[in-house]
Amino acid sequence: MAFRRKKDDREVETYMKLTPKSFLLYLVIIVFCIIIISPLVIVFSSSLRTPENQVSPLNLFIEFSLASYQKAFTNMNYPMEFLNSFITTAGSVLVIVIIATMAAYPIGRIKSKLARFMYFFFISGLIIPSQMVIVPIAQTLSRLGIPNTRFTPMLMFITCSLPFSVFLYSGFMKSVPVEIEESAYMDGASLFKRFTTIVFPLLKPATVSTIITQGLWIWNDYFYPMVFITRKEQYSLPVGMLQFLGDKENPAQWNILFAACVLCALPLIIIFMALQKQFINGIAAGAVKG
Amino acid sequence: MEKKRKKKKGNISLVFTNRMYVFLIPALLFFLILWIYPLLQLFYYSITDFNGINYDFDYVGFENFSRIFENGSMVNAIKNTLIYAVVVVVLSNLIGLGIAIALNTRIHFKGIFRTCAYFPALFSAIVVGFIWSYVYMPTNGMIAGLLDMFGMDGSKFNPLGSFTVALFAIAIVEVWKGFGTTMIIYLAGLQTVDESLLEAGRIDGCNEWQLTRFVKLPLISSTITINVILNVIAGLKAFDYSFIMTNGGPGSSTRTLMFQIYQMAFTDQQMGRASAFSVVSFFVIIVITVFMLFFMNKREVEL
Repeated sequence: MAFRRKKDDREVETYMKLTPKSFLLYLVIIVFCIIIISPLVIVFSSSLRTPENQVSPLNLFIEFSLASYQKAFTNMNYPMEFLNSFITTAGSVLVIVIIATMAAYPIGRIKSKLARFMYFFFISGLIIPSQMVIVPIAQTLSRLGIPNTRFTPMLMFITCSLPFSVFLYSGFMKSVPVEIEESAYMDGASLFKRFTTIVFPLLKPATVSTIITQGLWIWNDYFYPMVFITRKEQYSLPVGMLQFLGDKENPAQWNILFAACVLCALPLIIIFMALQKQFINGIAAGAVKG
Repeated sequence: MEKKRKKKKGNISLVFTNRMYVFLIPALLFFLILWIYPLLQLFYYSITDFNGINYDFDYVGFENFSRIFENGSMVNAIKNTLIYAVVVVVLSNLIGLGIAIALNTRIHFKGIFRTCAYFPALFSAIVVGFIWSYVYMPTNGMIAGLLDMFGMDGSKFNPLGSFTVALFAIAIVEVWKGFGTTMIIYLAGLQTVDESLLEAGRIDGCNEWQLTRFVKLPLISSTITINVILNVIAGLKAFDYSFIMTNGGPGSSTRTLMFQIYQMAFTDQQMGRASAFSVVSFFVIIVITVFMLFFMNKREVEL
């Protein structure tokens, strides 16, 4: 794995001198990182073995073969599950960005009790766990005549993402100057025009943050697809992983299981590696600005 | 109609008129129909013997409530969830803050360390559950294998099979996955601390510990609040690892509120009782969250 290090101004400045104290700091951090990362290294090394190789996974990188990956790839029907995951995630995030900015616009701009109430009303949704409301939700959906397709979980992803996204956008709304909008109003721009041409583009940092934080959990979530999707060809990657549930206590299946785990996480790992800076900033911005 | 409302609310801005509220409609529709309405339905189902499928159900009054309290499942689930949440909140924040403070110095390879710490957060809970099932596995698992290597008896190591340890074991999995996010938020908070204030502290003779405790921590108190709240919310939602790794066991030692609700509703098909459980959980969650918000706000002022 290639790690790229961005040089910002402060890093160029000076590094810590190697004293006994700083040596201790390095030691602690390095040991800690090794502990954190070691399960992943073992999983990766085992996934590179043939499925028949039963030597303890603790012997790292003793064999390099893609046989386990091949098996996991076909077992999962990877291309299809990947596509399902992609459609679900991209579709949900797109809708969230649109309706959450729209909702945050009046909430962040109007100074009234109603706007304030709406803000807390949406945020309070954060504390409700999905498992609690899932059965009434399923009933509501069936009463509305919405069949269980690959689009049903998207409705839930959108709803579940609203509290955090609205919270985020409302926080960022303060950074969009009121004066620009006022002068646009003077020039005769309509409400809709102001929103699409001024507010939405200026909220770009919040949009990046929303795409990353919400995209991450939606891609990884298995609960809603597990409940709503019954047909195998509509499975997303995490739900496809559920079929390996019985294998986790069977050492004979570990190599394939681990290959499946890597395959499942691979798209996110690639995106993370490519956009590391945006990723880290997006996650931090969400919590700090909001 | 429009005029009347304007007068009542006293919103006199010409630019930001009440017409803007139309922008709320799509989000509000989603939220009301698929989140708030189902939540209210729970209250209704909680006094019935509804099984989740057949709509021909009867009202049973408060029998569901008395049952879940009498058979101890409620108290057990609340206790497990609280322990889980406390472990997650305390460990995530301590480790996250500690690593963030260490990485906020002028250290080499900051980016690599940060990536390592954040990396587990990229994985789906189900993948994490599988990986840690292997880590905790007796005899063949990672920790057991390492114990064997160092001459200890690894076959006795079985945290997921122990009544007392299993809950802590799965809470640690949650911490492993989640502390990286907490750390990144702390790191961002620490970077907002004004360098000149630290300089002033150094001139006044503060050592590093004092600088951290009396200058940095008070300045990032809002970051601490948000991290604690986010972790409390995540901890109270504990479900994934009970579901994937232990299936609530051994016995009922890892049955959390959400796991219990899920099992009652889907496995036992006792939707009425699951709803009663949900209603109680709902109030438990609200009380804890409100209490935390209140406590953290007060603390923020004190720091």
